[in-house]
Amino acid sequence: MAHDEVKHDYHLVNPSPWPLLGSMAMVVLAIGAVTYMKGMFGIPEGSPWLMLIGLGFVGYVMFGWWREVIKESRAGDHTPVVSIGLKYGMVLFIASEIMFFVAWFWSFFEFAIFHGARVGDSFDAANPLYAEALQAVGGQWPPAGVELFDPFHLPLMNTLVLLLSGTTVTAAHHALQHGNRKTAINMLAITVLLGIFFTGLQILEYSHAGFSFDGTIYGSAFFMATGFHGAHVVIGTIFLAVCLIRLMTGGMSEKKHLGFEFAAWYWHFVDVVWLFLFAFVYVIPYLVLGH
Amino acid sequence: MAMDQVSTVHDDHAHDHKPGFFTRWFLSTNHKDIGTLYLVFAIIAGIVGYTLSGIIRLELAQPGIGPLTSLMEFFGYSGDQAIEHAKHFYNVVITYHGLIMIFFMVMPALIGGFGNWFVPLMIGAPDMAFPRMNNISFWLTVAAFIMACISMLIPGTGQFLGFGGGWVLYPPLSSATGHPGPSMDLLILSLHTAGIASILGAINFIVTILNMRAPGMTLHKMPLFAWSMLVTAVLLLLALPVLAGALTMLLTDRNFGSQFFDPSGGGDPIMFQHLFWFFGHPEVYIMILPAFGIISHIVSTFSNKPVFGYLGMAYAMVSIGAIGFIVWAHHMYTVGMPADMKAYFVAATMVIAVPTGIKIFSWIATMWGGSIDFAVPMVWAIGFIFLFTVGGVTGVVLANAGIDHILHDTYYVVAHFHYVLSLGAVFGLFAGWYYWFEKMFGVKYNKTIGYAHFWTMFVGSNLLFFPQHFLGLNGMPRRYIDYADAFSTWHFWSSMGYAVTLVATLIFFVGVIEAAVRRRKGVGNPWGEGATTLEWTLPSPPPFHQFNELPEVKPQEHH
Amino acid sequence: MRFLVALLSILPFSAAAYAAVPEEGGLNLQASATRIMERLHWFHNYLLVIITLITLFVLALIVWVAIKYNKRANPVARKFSHNTPIEIVWTVVPVLILVAIAGPSFSNLFYQENQPDLEVIATAEDDNPNIYPDAAAQGWITVKAQGNQWNWTYSFPDELDDGGYPVEFVSNPLQRGLSSDQDTEAARGPRNLSTDYPLVLPVNRYIRYQTAASDVIHSWTVPAFGVKTDAVPGRLNEGWFLVEEEGTYYGQCSELCGKDHAYMPIEVRVVDQETYDTWISTLRSGDFDGAFGALDQAQVASNSDRTGAETRLARAE
Ligand code: HEA
Ligand code: HEA
Ligand code: CUA
Ligand SMILES: [Cu+2]
Repeated sequence: MAHDEVKHDYHLVNPSPWPLLGSMAMVVLAIGAVTYMKGMFGIPEGSPWLMLIGLGFVGYVMFGWWREVIKESRAGDHTPVVSIGLKYGMVLFIASEIMFFVAWFWSFFEFAIFHGARVGDSFDAANPLYAEALQAVGGQWPPAGVELFDPFHLPLMNTLVLLLSGTTVTAAHHALQHGNRKTAINMLAITVLLGIFFTGLQILEYSHAGFSFDGTIYGSAFFMATGFHGAHVVIGTIFLAVCLIRLMTGGMSEKKHLGFEFAAWYWHFVDVVWLFLFAFVYVIPYLVLGH
Repeated sequence: MAMDQVSTVHDDHAHDHKPGFFTRWFLSTNHKDIGTLYLVFAIIAGIVGYTLSGIIRLELAQPGIGPLTSLMEFFGYSGDQAIEHAKHFYNVVITYHGLIMIFFMVMPALIGGFGNWFVPLMIGAPDMAFPRMNNISFWLTVAAFIMACISMLIPGTGQFLGFGGGWVLYPPLSSATGHPGPSMDLLILSLHTAGIASILGAINFIVTILNMRAPGMTLHKMPLFAWSMLVTAVLLLLALPVLAGALTMLLTDRNFGSQFFDPSGGGDPIMFQHLFWFFGHPEVYIMILPAFGIISHIVSTFSNKPVFGYLGMAYAMVSIGAIGFIVWAHHMYTVGMPADMKAYFVAATMVIAVPTGIKIFSWIATMWGGSIDFAVPMVWAIGFIFLFTVGGVTGVVLANAGIDHILHDTYYVVAHFHYVLSLGAVFGLFAGWYYWFEKMFGVKYNKTIGYAHFWTMFVGSNLLFFPQHFLGLNGMPRRYIDYADAFSTWHFWSSMGYAVTLVATLIFFVGVIEAAVRRRKGVGNPWGEGATTLEWTLPSPPPFHQFNELPEVKPQEHH
Repeated sequence: MRFLVALLSILPFSAAAYAAVPEEGGLNLQASATRIMERLHWFHNYLLVIITLITLFVLALIVWVAIKYNKRANPVARKFSHNTPIEIVWTVVPVLILVAIAGPSFSNLFYQENQPDLEVIATAEDDNPNIYPDAAAQGWITVKAQGNQWNWTYSFPDELDDGGYPVEFVSNPLQRGLSSDQDTEAARGPRNLSTDYPLVLPVNRYIRYQTAASDVIHSWTVPAFGVKTDAVPGRLNEGWFLVEEEGTYYGQCSELCGKDHAYMPIEVRVVDQETYDTWISTLRSGDFDGAFGALDQAQVASNSDRTGAETRLARAE
């Protein structure tokens, strides 16, 4: 069997400490989170330091790991066939993220559409334990006392911001492909700013909410769906910002800029999720049930 | 076949240079080493899960609360206190038995172990697509297992340790109402971690299979085990995130005041069940499909015949996977669903019997006309085919909502899923173990010990689980530490069956140790011309990096 | 198929027993006391025949290939790998079998699930065994079972006491697996199945039962009636049954609900209409002890005898 010489283009990665460190970081993070939530091992409830250490540890591993990936890419390990593999990988990762959002939409729809079945005949209204909830939900959706956001104010603005950022990131991509690094940097910088702007607007919107995460089931479902989207916006913004830094420091080429492409795909995914949120969580409930 | 690989020293060939011990086993980026790590891990977790099942059977051997009370007295509780602790502890034991067997024994062994070892070998790839990510899948699984074990030992509810709400984690028993302690929080994070590990692993398998097949190996020429892993990985990729979502909601319900599953805030505990089973049902096929793949190879190898109806076999798995996503509520017939919805789920569920039947009959047709060698892996495979059928047909009984109203949450269900899992997936696991043992470790096992393991296991597990059908029909509910005296006969025999499997498991380990001590040198292909897949073209064990020159699959060549 | 069902029913593992309790060493479903369970019995026997035949068929094929096509009997393997007609057969035949299962399955499902329209039934005349015109004429009796950690609260929403509240009482298990009460209570009915205050219902009446819960999910079931419905916090689930025979029937909580899940049995005493009327009106007047004291205690004992099971205590002596 000929094994002297590698005659294929796949990437045989060298042994690496990051996976082991990463999983250790995960244990610290998880135990830190539990001590923060419940207090354990002599650490009082509400004390976040172990969790923060774990978080820092995870961040360190991500940084180290991806730096290694970038180095390998510079060393030419990302041959065409490896690049295809990486692309498949990113697409599949986004697919799993979509399924993650399915869970939030599922819960939102369950409460919005099937609440009749739940609070109607089959609701245990005679039970004093739940009578209060029945009153709160009031046989209606959104529950009594919940003031819906007007989708045509801040949320519409947010939609425009995200759509705009979708075009700027595409423009940056085109510019990069055509060797126009300067435009690419500018466009990407605008995208990052738009991302930050979106997050800012979202925080502003949250601060005006007429309901809270823990007050009603509407709040739970709403904040979980939009909140996880917001978290993805932040992650996507960081992702784009890293690409921006790499572009500014001379990284990535016209032909090969997988990191950039992945950031852009991710950004589009975040964008599409927002459109769904905008349509189904903001607009339709407002038009159908709102005021 | 060049056997130079068997020699121990390998100096100057940089690409076959095995790294030092720590680097090799802790920082690994080699699919075969990671596969071995997974197998070792699965054996350790298997011992834990198996011990927990022993506690269950010991306690249920006779009515009343006996052994567990003694155990609690051993831990320093006395009188009624000991009994109260025993009752909670029983629930903890069944919960972690289920979780560990599923997430830390069967999945790591079949997917992480055999998948890692043989998907690249079978498709002629030098390694997995993302070798480093492969390793974090493994270490995150270990991390998750450690967290799960710790969560057993920290407060679950009141003074009681561990989470005792069943592997399905239904709220409100798993929310602050039922288990306010940190145990459940850590368990949630453990399952998140195991889920991340599996999602990353799934991405890795899909990319490897799509992108790294040897030249000439089209999807329709790909070995069935690779097919089974492809379908399994897709199921993992799409099902696990939904579980992650449900677990996250549970976590915020418990700690941050959301009310997804809390009726006193307008939430709905049943929604958790929908989300859980949307994951949970595909999960059961995630556990059995790799076994299907393994069985196909074994049956073909030892019948010395190509797999019958290859395409039908592949697409049967695809359709099992696809239909598996639309049948989840058959676990929820008694929660108060409308009758029409139940009727839909009855119909959809029963449909799965058709592609599964295609698989059963195609295996038999593969043997038909063959020249069957009843080697050790083959007897496990035949055992699998028969026992899985027994488990499958009771699944069809349960699929009928009308009868499930009476059988749900009884031992009939326990019997059903142990026939497909403990006598299905685990028999597939052992079949693969004996099929590939020599390939993986380069030494031969003792056949007599292999047969002895099979027969004791076959007798023991049937004695263990067949009487549970009677218990279930007769009304014995699941997850009971104690039962009405009328159930004692069959519980007794069931526990006797466990004793027999204990012998079987000892024989298994004797076999492993014997092989390790005797070191009879293995050959590249011990099975003869029936073994046609690429792993048999390599020496045993294969070189550290195989296929530095990619193998060419010729158009007429058969899978 | 009919013949096989008949054949099967004389085999020991489907022999009907008369006790509405689990049988020592029992092999099949508990005896039925309602039409619902009666139909499930039939359906289960029907399924049992089908799945037994399928399993035996697979076993026979395996044995056949093992004998005919082992290495010694057939040294040279044939090499075929396709046969379209046979593949079609083993796709279509299972479909047909499933259709044959689905028919009775759906009819049973809808019989259980759809609450009968009593007004229509009351005027019906035919001798259809699935309906009870006489009982229908008397209307529904509604009872609500609320699961708590770890006992059941029964209430009758339509039976109001002096204060205008529905009649309500708690049914506690006689055993909780604890050493102390085991000693004193074990003799009063089958261990782990009996309660201190059973639910009392009249025979031959349409009963609408509702399930609810106050903490976690429980599940209310009586195997002899063929009913099992989860008691979910915040929800009110409904079902119906009509018991055809007087007697004491037992069930056990069937959804894991925590530490004492194994110790919240369900005991239903089905009595004649007159006894029931006395019982409920005594309860309405608030005389709790009077209502339960008047019940025939011997009935429990005789039922427990019928199980043939000895209590653990009795055996120890
Ligand atoms: C490997 C795991 C595995 C597999 C493969 C299956 C396979 C099937 N399961 Fe099972 N199941 C579980 C694991 C599995 N299950 C577990 C773990 C639970 C319990 C979870 C819990 O509550 O804790 C469960 C519970 C469960 C329930 C819920 C019971 C209840 O809680 O009340 C139901 C109901 O429909 C069901 C049905 C089925 C069906 C129809 C199949 C089918 O896929 C089977 C198909 C196979 C065959 C039918 C045999 C071969 C076919 C032929 C020979 C062809 C001819 C046959 C016919 C025409 C019938 N299963
Ligand atoms: C894969 C899954 C799996 C496996 C293998 C098993 C195996 C066994 N199970 Fe398990 N069981 C579950 C999954 C599994 N179980 C689940 C999900 C539940 C439900 C939990 C709940 O209610 O929430 C359950 C519940 C359950 C109950 C019901 C408890 C109750 O409701 O009160 C009982 C009772 O007897 C039981 C017994 C056993 C026994 C005796 C074994 C075994 O002893 C049988 C013999 C098996 C072996 C001997 C295999 C040993 C394997 C190894 C040592 C590893 C080898 C590895 C390599 C070669 C790589 N199990
Ligand atoms: Cu109540 Cu189980
Ligand atoms: Cu299922």
